[in-house]
Amino acid sequence: MSSVGKYFTGIFKGIGSLLLGMSVTLKELFTKKVTQQYPENRATLVISDRFRGELVMPHDENNEHACTACGICEMNCPNGTITVKSKMIETPEGKRKKVLDEYFYDLGQCTFCNLCVISCPSHAILFSNHFENAVFTRSKLLERLNHEGSKLREKAPVKKPAPAVVPSDGGEKVKTEGEAKPQPKAEVNVPVKENKEEKEEKEQ
Amino acid sequence: MLLEISHPLELFKLTAWLDSMLRSLMPDWGALLIEFVLIGLVLLLAYAVIALALIYIERKITAFFQCRLGPNRVGKYGIIQSVADMVKILLKEIIPIDHVDKILFYLAPFFVIVSSMLTFGALPFGNGLHVVDFNIGLFYLIAVSSLSIIGVLLAGWSSNNKYSMIGAMRSGAQFISYELSAGLSLMTIAVLSGSLQLSTIVESQTYVYHWNLFRGHIPALIAFVIYLIAGHAETNRGPFDLPEAESELTAGYHTEYSGLQFGFFYLAEYLNMFIIAGIATTVFLGGWNPVQIEGWNGFNEVMNWIPSYVWFFAKTGVLIFLSLWVRWTFPRLRIDQLLNLEWKYLLPINLVNLVVMAVLVVFGLYIK
Amino acid sequence: MIEQVIFYILAFFIVGFSLLAVTERRIIRASVYLLFVLLGTAGLYLILEYHFLAAAQVAVYAGGIMVLFVFSILLTDHPGAEVKYEKPKRMIISAFAALAGIAICGHIIYYNVSRAYQYIAQGEIDMKDLGMTLMGTGKYQYMLPFEAISLLLLACIIGGILIARKK
Repeated sequence: MSSVGKYFTGIFKGIGSLLLGMSVTLKELFTKKVTQQYPENRATLVISDRFRGELVMPHDENNEHACTACGICEMNCPNGTITVKSKMIETPEGKRKKVLDEYFYDLGQCTFCNLCVISCPSHAILFSNHFENAVFTRSKLLERLNHEGSKLREKAPVKKPAPAVVPSDGGEKVKTEGEAKPQPKAEVNVPVKENKEEKEEKEQ
Repeated sequence: MLLEISHPLELFKLTAWLDSMLRSLMPDWGALLIEFVLIGLVLLLAYAVIALALIYIERKITAFFQCRLGPNRVGKYGIIQSVADMVKILLKEIIPIDHVDKILFYLAPFFVIVSSMLTFGALPFGNGLHVVDFNIGLFYLIAVSSLSIIGVLLAGWSSNNKYSMIGAMRSGAQFISYELSAGLSLMTIAVLSGSLQLSTIVESQTYVYHWNLFRGHIPALIAFVIYLIAGHAETNRGPFDLPEAESELTAGYHTEYSGLQFGFFYLAEYLNMFIIAGIATTVFLGGWNPVQIEGWNGFNEVMNWIPSYVWFFAKTGVLIFLSLWVRWTFPRLRIDQLLNLEWKYLLPINLVNLVVMAVLVVFGLYIK
Repeated sequence: MIEQVIFYILAFFIVGFSLLAVTERRIIRASVYLLFVLLGTAGLYLILEYHFLAAAQVAVYAGGIMVLFVFSILLTDHPGAEVKYEKPKRMIISAFAALAGIAICGHIIYYNVSRAYQYIAQGEIDMKDLGMTLMGTGKYQYMLPFEAISLLLLACIIGGILIARKK
């Protein structure tokens, strides 16, 4: 095509494509608005289950949790958010046993990286999607995750209902894990090992 | 001609009454003085109020184009959001910058705002709401609006900031180029209507088919589109906002300005949008004339009940909406694309269009 | 009365800014002062009710040429640098040249003002008459100079294209 022809077809094609673009935006003008008016729509607000709001330790209705106080989460935490305090108790059978005393979680330091949840061998902790975490003093961000007087869940409990706070698929995980322990253990040990190897490499 | 109609809501009776009352109370010069001051006050007030309204409307419409709700916290539907913004800008500190050319730095915003105010003052807002009706109306508008670019250039240079400087240079190149197109497309209509006087241009467009846009059919339509594009580019908005391209130049020529000085640039930008739309309304769309169709007397009577200033603002509003629509549709142009568009497309088309319009007028081919 | 007051204000404005434009040592400021001089002159035309010339002054000089001035000054090396004063000898010579210019202009204006005054139409000049005069071919009409100027502009454009196309 000659350059003159190109010039004129260019003009008309250009106008056509501009009009096409404008028709697209005109449609957008009348589509439903997607803005979430947050504080007013609390009732209907939908936050994705995968959203990491804060760390929680699910307890069932017997006030039992799954934390064995192994401390892997504490070791895996990149910035020292978690402190696991354990104590030795005497079981009725006369065995000495390490159980969880206090599980501290500092929300103010957490980067929500999810490493603790991934590495937990007994799936005792989870990230909930509760996101309204603002408080007036930093000290309030230091939370104790295990409830008062809670104890470790027995290995084969009679009932395993889903924990109240936990979203449904997370709760199911906890359940299945309680029955078939060796499987997830192997699975979750991997990142821990990797972490350790990395640490060693760094040290070298 | 139009049938004799009552204009119940028009303001010209009010202004005439005010004038006669003032003249009966005091000597002529006193009445004139008071009227000058009053008109000046009203214009300044209108300038500020229109700018505030425009900022709100722009933010709302922008939001709607982006599937958002826009400002909706300050007042019902966020209606006094821009008032709050204005108070904020008035209260903000004007930060002194090191190593700026003090005189030019403080002078630059005034160029921009004075130029836009001079243009604003000469617009015919309605029947009897036309402050100065120059014989050379259109030429005056073009001439005065060309002053603002000096403010932009000086602001960019005196800020002692390379981003400001680049933004100002781009803005200068853009403005000088697109001013030609804007002027030429207005000249096309001056050829058609045979006058530069805004009142004559408006009054000649009584019925809808007398609107210059329809009277001059094809060339007028081309001139209209080119004027809208060129005017849009002159206001540094929409796809032509590369003088203040945020990703490259922070805020372009007004990067270093804060507080009220920034407010001046901001106000002038919004008002320029209004002024461009207002000129386009006056020249192409019949100005403040209501929609009148020959023969439909009842319809015309009803339309006449709506006062002329409402018509002016409604037509201007449609054009402003068009400008926003364009702004939120197209991506920003590169500087070479911008200059190509003007010098290779708009200007040659415009020149040919002017000749076509002259031929049309000579042979009387326009709609009479 | 009021016209005279405005005239004196404008005159002082113009004279003051002319002096500033000449004595200012930073070229970009000098150009801004020159812009004020041009705007003041446009104000004088407005007093004469010669709106067309005022608008032309603003559009062509203030809006066009001054923008190009500022633009090209910005493209130079040090637009903000202070220029040194000339040697006193040169200053004296140029002062004499300026005085001679004032004298000649003053003489011409003084002896021709009354003659020029009868040409000045009272009141506003209609834009239509102006256009007809500019484009007319009769006596006291300016078709030929108008076209001559357009030829000059054409030459400028062609020159510009030639320079731009030079490989």
